[in-house]
Amino acid sequence: MKRKSELVVPLLFLAAAPLVVYSVQRVFLHTPNERTMGTAFKIFFFHVPMGWLCMLMALISGIAAYVQLRRRSRTAGAVALAAAEIGFLGGLGVLLTGPIWGHATWGTPWTGDARQVTTALLWLVIAAYLLLRHFGQHASERLAAALAIFGAVNVPLIYYAVKLWKTTHPTTGVVAKLPPEMWATFWPGLSALLLVSFGLFAIRARQLVLASELDEAYVRLEDSRA
Amino acid sequence: MTPIAPVLITGLAFHAEPPPADAGEYEPAVGTSREEKEILATLEDKAAAKTASDYQHIVWAYGILWALFAAYGLFLWRRSARLRADVDALRQALGSEARGGPRA
Repeated sequence: MKRKSELVVPLLFLAAAPLVVYSVQRVFLHTPNERTMGTAFKIFFFHVPMGWLCMLMALISGIAAYVQLRRRSRTAGAVALAAAEIGFLGGLGVLLTGPIWGHATWGTPWTGDARQVTTALLWLVIAAYLLLRHFGQHASERLAAALAIFGAVNVPLIYYAVKLWKTTHPTTGVVAKLPPEMWATFWPGLSALLLVSFGLFAIRARQLVLASELDEAYVRLEDSRA
Repeated sequence: MTPIAPVLITGLAFHAEPPPADAGEYEPAVGTSREEKEILATLEDKAAAKTASDYQHIVWAYGILWALFAAYGLFLWRRSARLRADVDALRQALGSEARGGPRA
């Protein structure tokens, strides 16, 4: 019989499935076009959740990396790496959909806007962290953890970028001011993305812990043979 | 003596009703002119083309996102298969160790 913790991931995907279908049909069929941006505004419904996912995962990765540094916890290290991988995906998503939206509404994919630059910086930090974790030597784990913490510190900077500097990017209050019919499209899409992401995150974290335990078991086996 | 006939005729002419609207005379159309209609049609065409192109943008953006997640899901699935193989190999090694078999 499966343990309760093993049922969590299938349940997350099961809950996400109808929400994905519902949000897609709402975006394409039932959500009205925005007055000034027209149809292109509909990119908002997956661009913003991707941005939030990237920032959330960068925060989780940074906090887990801090715990890993303080307590030398293997689980915290696995959580930090799994969160960084999902954050990398979210960052890639937001950096690809943003320019597509920008091209449709501003006429140019990249304006060098403060939020664009800080988001790109976060994504590069996450990429550097992943490269260090995957290809670095054992001692480089501390440097990698420091990078993850730096990425987490960058998150508030992304959030406040549109308030601190003059930008062309929409402000942070857009979501709160959405009309009800757009609000009803945004939340199912965001929930679906978060459920899928947390499902993948749980699988990856468990894989990393298992891989680390396997390595240890092999080392012990070799020691016993020696 | 004033001649009565011209006075009567002039009076009748002044009291005459205007001709009815459907008398076949020209009446200027009220509303949009031909030029305005042509401009509107051009703008509507441009708006339709922009909407179609924007829909393409949305489909691309959405496709890219789910392709990313599908690719990551595939990566995790392959990784799981490799881990399972490693666990099996370890079990076998431990089994042969317990039986006192050959040390590879």
